[in-house]
Amino acid sequence: MTTRSRTDRSLLSRIFVGPSKGRTVRRTIFYFILLIVIFGPWIVTHDPIRPDPFNTLAPPSAEHWFGTDSLGLDIYSRVVAGARIDFVLALIGVVLGGGLGSMMGAWAAYRRGWVDTVVLRVVEVLQSFPVLLLGLVLFAALGALDLPQPFDTGVVVLVIAIAFVNFPSYVRQVRSVLIPLTDAEFVQAAKCSGLGGWGIVWKHFIPNARGQILALFALTCAYAIQIIAGLSFIGLGIEPPSPEWGAMIREGANLIVAGKWWASLFPGAAIALSVYSLTGFSIGSDVPIDPTGVSS
Amino acid sequence: MVLFSVVVLAFAVTRSTGTPLYAAVGIQTSEEILEARAELMGLNDPIHVQFTTYLTALLRGDLGSSRFTFVPVTDDIARRLPATAELVFFSMVVGSLWTIPLGVRAAVRPNGPLGKLGEGISQFGVSVPAFWLGLLLLTVLSYQVFPIFPSRGRLTSDIDSSMIVTGFYTVDALLAGNPGLAWEALKHLILPAVTLGITSSPPMFRVTRAAVSAALASPYVEAAYSYGLPRRKIMVRDVFRNASPPILNLMAMTFGYLIGGAVLVERVFSWPGIGFYAVWASERSDYDPVLGVVIVAATIYVVLYFIVDLLQYAMDPRVRD
Repeated sequence: MTTRSRTDRSLLSRIFVGPSKGRTVRRTIFYFILLIVIFGPWIVTHDPIRPDPFNTLAPPSAEHWFGTDSLGLDIYSRVVAGARIDFVLALIGVVLGGGLGSMMGAWAAYRRGWVDTVVLRVVEVLQSFPVLLLGLVLFAALGALDLPQPFDTGVVVLVIAIAFVNFPSYVRQVRSVLIPLTDAEFVQAAKCSGLGGWGIVWKHFIPNARGQILALFALTCAYAIQIIAGLSFIGLGIEPPSPEWGAMIREGANLIVAGKWWASLFPGAAIALSVYSLTGFSIGSDVPIDPTGVSS
Repeated sequence: MVLFSVVVLAFAVTRSTGTPLYAAVGIQTSEEILEARAELMGLNDPIHVQFTTYLTALLRGDLGSSRFTFVPVTDDIARRLPATAELVFFSMVVGSLWTIPLGVRAAVRPNGPLGKLGEGISQFGVSVPAFWLGLLLLTVLSYQVFPIFPSRGRLTSDIDSSMIVTGFYTVDALLAGNPGLAWEALKHLILPAVTLGITSSPPMFRVTRAAVSAALASPYVEAAYSYGLPRRKIMVRDVFRNASPPILNLMAMTFGYLIGGAVLVERVFSWPGIGFYAVWASERSDYDPVLGVVIVAATIYVVLYFIVDLLQYAMDPRVRD
């Protein structure tokens, strides 16, 4: 990673408005989707989970903009309502995994020595797990367990799986950025003034990696949406009739043989657009990748 | 070490949270049967004993067996792994076909039309969910508009088991001197391989572009130019040779990752690989197959990682210092 000036103001503005070479489209789409997430319940035309048995499998029309599925649910309303589910779950999973990962990365960079080694080993193990298979294992395991009421097995599986995949990448990224600071003067000064280990990590290390953390954030959210949809597609995540995009594609998949393409086309397009728009926010991606992988 | 931890973790997750007992016998069973079954499955033993049992079996290559078909998981996986490997191999071919030429082109001419095209495909591949792309391709090329490709499985007819040598049906059919069958196998492969090839290759495009442009900007290429060497020669001798290690590295990693990461595409195309198997088992709460697939996939990934490290060590004198 190249070192950049880390004045926070310019960083934030760079992420949210700043020089957007060819990114204007993506950002516009993102703000549009954000509006849908926020105002979803007010812009649906039908109840997204109330079936209409007299109107099943209707093709797109003025009444049902995106058509209806096999239960007569309005696909447009479900796609809109699904935005909330997908974005919120992605956010929870990424914040959980990314938060823990960043703390661990910073801690490893601060302590070095055996702590560093152990953290790196753990990360290696986690990274060798294929995420979808991990979802399968979690689901098989949690399925047998009776979770207390507000927790739904699918939701828990999704959040854990997302946190799980994101944890290692945040550890690596944050650690590699902060390693040069291990013996920095201000860290020594903080130690002398009696600040404890976690205090230093929290007050001096994390703020220095804020840029990298934010850069990863949008990208990992994009990836998380793909994972949520993927797991739900194989029936592990959100279960119908909850309007989740991957689950909707799963429903629609069986109808494709019969030529009813609309049930899975629109939710899939929603996923693609969301991921596409989110990748417009990573300030990391305009920095050329270091192909040797020895970044520090 | 890494592998051992993977096994511990996978085992811990499946065993610590729920008992496989009810799933094995059904809910309406008397206490005595439950007890007997628990004893039989070793569930009354302390957890470390259970784990040791599992681990010693694992070292003998025994991953347990399915609770529904009673077929040993090792056999099932051995039979399905070639299907996954063939799919992944062909999707890597599809991926390299566009990433390498376009990546090189994008490095040579960053603003040229071909570079832009590469960037576009790469954006598309990142954004589109693989299973959805697969469904779209199925709709257009298999069911509706141009129904020219088959929609599921590896073959429509049955392959004679005596013909199976490598497990790659395309290769086996050719070896057996049956080009018709090979063509059929290839037709089944194309849609899933394209789907997986497009969605898994964008990092390859980026790395190719970065590696080639790094090599182009390097002092040794500049020196070669100043000697007056022909451009073609510089490209082959200096640029490609120096740019290839990271690309090969990434290709190997992608291959390892896709062995376990092809689940969704296998599902869409009913491709009888290990991912499809894992989904099938997971839908029935069948632990051993899921656990087995995770362990096998992680093993392949770790082993490839190790081999790549060794190769890099052998190829690049700089790493040895």
